Amino acid sequence: MRRTARGIAVLASATLALSVAACGGEDKAAEEQPKADPASLTAELTWWDTSDPQNEGPAFQELIAKFNQTYPNVKINYQSVPFGEAQNKFKTAAQAKTGAPDILRAEVAWVPEFASLGYLYALDGSELLSDESDFLETPLASNKYDGKTYGVPQVTDSLALMYNKELLTKAGVSAPPKTWAELKTVSQAVKEKTGAEGVYLNPAGYFLLPFMYGEGGDLVDTGAKKIVINSEQNAAGLKVAKDLIDSGAAAKPSANDSYGTMMTLFKEKKVAMIINGPWEVNNVKSAPTFGGLENLGIAPVPAGSARAGGPVGGHNYTIWSGMPQEKVDAAVAFVKYMSSAESQAFLSEKLGLLPTRKSAYQLDPVKNNAVVAAFQAVNEAAVGRPWIPEAGQFFGPLDQMATEVLIQNKDPKAALDTVARKYKAEVVPGYGL
Amino acid sequence: MSRVKRPGRSRRSPVMSFLLHGTLILASLIAIGPIAWVLLSSLKPGYAIQSSELTLFRDTTLANYSYVLTGTNFPRWFLNSVIVAAFTMAIGIFFSATTGYAVSRFNFPGRRPLMMVFLVTQMFPVAILIVPIYTIMARLGLINTMPALIIAYLTIAVPFCAWMLKGYFDSIPTSLDEAAALDGCGPFATFWKVVLPLAKPAVAVTAFYTFLTAWGEVAYASAFIQTDNRFTLAYGLQQFVPQFNPQWEYLTAAAVLVTLPAGLVFFFAQKHLVSGLTAGGTKG
Amino acid sequence: MTTVTADPAPPSTPPGRSARPSRLRRSWEKHWYAWAMVLPVVIVLAVLIFYPLFRGIWLSFTNLNEANQVAEICTKSITGSEVCKENPNKWEFVGLDNYLRVLTGEVGEFWQWTGVTLIWTFVCVACHFGLGLGLATMLNRPMRLRGLYRVLLVLPWAVPAFVSAFAWKFIFNERFGLANAVLSAVGIDPVSWFADRWTSLFTAIVTNVWLGVPFMMVALLGGMQTIPSELYEAAEIDGASAWQRFRNITLPGLRPVSMTVILLGTIWTFNMFPIIFLVTEGQPAGQSEILVTGAFRAAFEGIRNYSLASTYGVLILSILLVFSVFYRRALRKQGEVW
Repeated sequence: MRRTARGIAVLASATLALSVAACGGEDKAAEEQPKADPASLTAELTWWDTSDPQNEGPAFQELIAKFNQTYPNVKINYQSVPFGEAQNKFKTAAQAKTGAPDILRAEVAWVPEFASLGYLYALDGSELLSDESDFLETPLASNKYDGKTYGVPQVTDSLALMYNKELLTKAGVSAPPKTWAELKTVSQAVKEKTGAEGVYLNPAGYFLLPFMYGEGGDLVDTGAKKIVINSEQNAAGLKVAKDLIDSGAAAKPSANDSYGTMMTLFKEKKVAMIINGPWEVNNVKSAPTFGGLENLGIAPVPAGSARAGGPVGGHNYTIWSGMPQEKVDAAVAFVKYMSSAESQAFLSEKLGLLPTRKSAYQLDPVKNNAVVAAFQAVNEAAVGRPWIPEAGQFFGPLDQMATEVLIQNKDPKAALDTVARKYKAEVVPGYGL
Repeated sequence: MSRVKRPGRSRRSPVMSFLLHGTLILASLIAIGPIAWVLLSSLKPGYAIQSSELTLFRDTTLANYSYVLTGTNFPRWFLNSVIVAAFTMAIGIFFSATTGYAVSRFNFPGRRPLMMVFLVTQMFPVAILIVPIYTIMARLGLINTMPALIIAYLTIAVPFCAWMLKGYFDSIPTSLDEAAALDGCGPFATFWKVVLPLAKPAVAVTAFYTFLTAWGEVAYASAFIQTDNRFTLAYGLQQFVPQFNPQWEYLTAAAVLVTLPAGLVFFFAQKHLVSGLTAGGTKG
Repeated sequence: MTTVTADPAPPSTPPGRSARPSRLRRSWEKHWYAWAMVLPVVIVLAVLIFYPLFRGIWLSFTNLNEANQVAEICTKSITGSEVCKENPNKWEFVGLDNYLRVLTGEVGEFWQWTGVTLIWTFVCVACHFGLGLGLATMLNRPMRLRGLYRVLLVLPWAVPAFVSAFAWKFIFNERFGLANAVLSAVGIDPVSWFADRWTSLFTAIVTNVWLGVPFMMVALLGGMQTIPSELYEAAEIDGASAWQRFRNITLPGLRPVSMTVILLGTIWTFNMFPIIFLVTEGQPAGQSEILVTGAFRAAFEGIRNYSLASTYGVLILSILLVFSVFYRRALRKQGEVW
């Protein structure tokens, strides 16, 4: 215990020195105290990064190089792991107590699940949470499980309405639609006047949440332990989505690879509006046919009859509980560095990622970033998801329902009832219907 | 035994010849169609691969190849795959040949159950076995090592190869074994010096099968291998196509580079796909 | 006398029955080399497959999952302490509950998945074998360009399967794919391949047939080498037609090999995970899911349900066991023994 306490003291001063240096660009003389010498920290850490290896990975590696300027003896073994397989891979390794990474970039929904299984260090009492109040509340909430905090938010996101400014202007529309009804009109106008399609809806559970939230619906009520997926509100939300497709305002979606189809059409200016998140901004920007960031409009998702809101997403830094205690100091130092306001600002500038610290939004690179500014409004409207260990299982049945309703013309209420039954039988048996 | 002229070209009528080649050309076209798509895509920049316009060529470039070869660990993955595939092939053939021979020739207790047991190993879905096998490999300290992969691939390859070789050994007359025994060969020598050379076509088939099993497998590799410098080719390739924002251009370029050696290996293996029996095991 | 690894196999009881020492010894003296030849394989399979398999059978009678598998859940704090709490719902023996839940359809879509799996397996294996046999017969004749044809036809096998799966998925893409482009060119309406379970399954079958034919072809080509050419020569002298030679010499001669490849081909196709998983993704709405992919999605999304996964595993195993027993019986009627 004493060792750790001292380690934290060392860290505190080290990070202080670091942030001073990073903010003002003053000389390194700020790190005077001999006790604070970060070079004395020696460890080798493995980090599984699940970000996009092509667009995002290099920026994280740059950040690691910067970290090593201050901590030359903490070696970070950077390993990019595809997002789609990281969850299973981590769990398999953590369960066998061999081969899991010391630090993992975990999707928001994974943290409560991993925490409930004992795979993560609780971070309470460490330097990482000393300025807890600086983190935005919703992203931080995804790290809490059973009264403890198991991760630090890295980046937050939500779904937004992304639109092609040129096409909307051509259609005579000056501002992006604010409600689903407006979206329908705009969409039809685009179709008539430009020849492009108005909007493409991805028939997947996550992407339909804005419709359900819009009418005031949700998946489950964690407080009352009740499954509310088959509520009238959700059915109404799905009807809105279904009507967009049936009326021809929205393009007819494919059952398979609809996400890729949506992105291809959007990048080729064949569809004017999509619902998607900030992770695709770089992709759209680099498409030679689209016309760059100037042509990309970002607005909050349209509102239903109750509200406007997309689901909160994002990623957190977590530390594997199987990591030996003697590496804790180094791991904390690393996560602290990566999640500092300056690092977040750096990532924001490079990649357009949304910081999770309030203080980061005060820094110039963030303030001056148009994409971040656009998404900030989006995020303020974002709806928190149920942060329970079972949350990862909600989307399988929901995706099936999306295909049934939007492609196979099944009645929304009936499809939702099926989902509710599946939740009861397979996901949250302890909840009421 | 003399070389036998098989019924063949000499007697084939022009119509038959046309039909034969026509069918084979059509089949070859179907076989290489999707591969041609992979090849053509590998020459395009990423945005032109999934596109609403179907084109054969667009903004042709070799940049994808140079990125794959220099910007990634591809050469290292290649080496790893060669090592894993070669060991799987060598060990796999050795074990399945001995097993197949024992089952074919000796009526030992446990012989028939053994063949059934081999089948059963193939019946339980791999997807469900991966987690427990990981735990075993972890206990053996084999996580993130190539032996883990080689052993796992052997469990797939050996049962099939043993069955295949057993069938083939069955068709080799036992009189040969008996003759060898009279010459003073023990069971191992008979197997090694007399029977195995005769079984060359079947060995070629199983060799190619084990090689490709190790060459293209992803599920075990993605569970057991954790660092970039230990990836096999197939698993390395998968890194190019994450759920969002897949890099088709690199995947296709790498796939072309992966397919070529496999094609070469087969080209040499197929020369052994000729009867070893009639030519007394001497034919090339 | 060099070759075999043969550290003499331990005198383990032969899988027959425990016998009097003398008999055991006789048996040992007579068969030790046979056992030595199969022992390494048996050890590897026992450790890697049979241990998990028997554990799986046991698990299918429990409710063990990722969350309840340990007796106590420990939370390590970054400050160095560790709190362990007893797991409130530790796993327990539940008898046949899992089977009941799966077979009654309370969990998953067992019967639908089984139906799709049977169709999928039958069609794939039939096409594999038919096409493979045809091509092998042709490629077994001496002719010009034989080596080239062989290599071209085997290429689909040489591409990593998941890459081919993506290639076919592109071909069947509803908006950008070649298949619909060709249909439109000849004046047929484009098809929404993945909006209907049968067209969706069709795309997966096409992919898998394309992938699997080269293997069958090569295996059968290898098998054809066992047929003594004297037989063909004699038949030719007797004036047998090509078809007669094929029916009466090639097919019977191929029996040992074709029996193996059909049997194992069926088992593999039944459990063929990546094609369905990647090409159709189970679309539309899980209707093209086969047993393995369905089981995987049911048990491995979110908190992993090991007991449920094992239950599916055991059911799959049972179906395949029944199949192979019948297959064996059918073969035995025709005089084949194994």
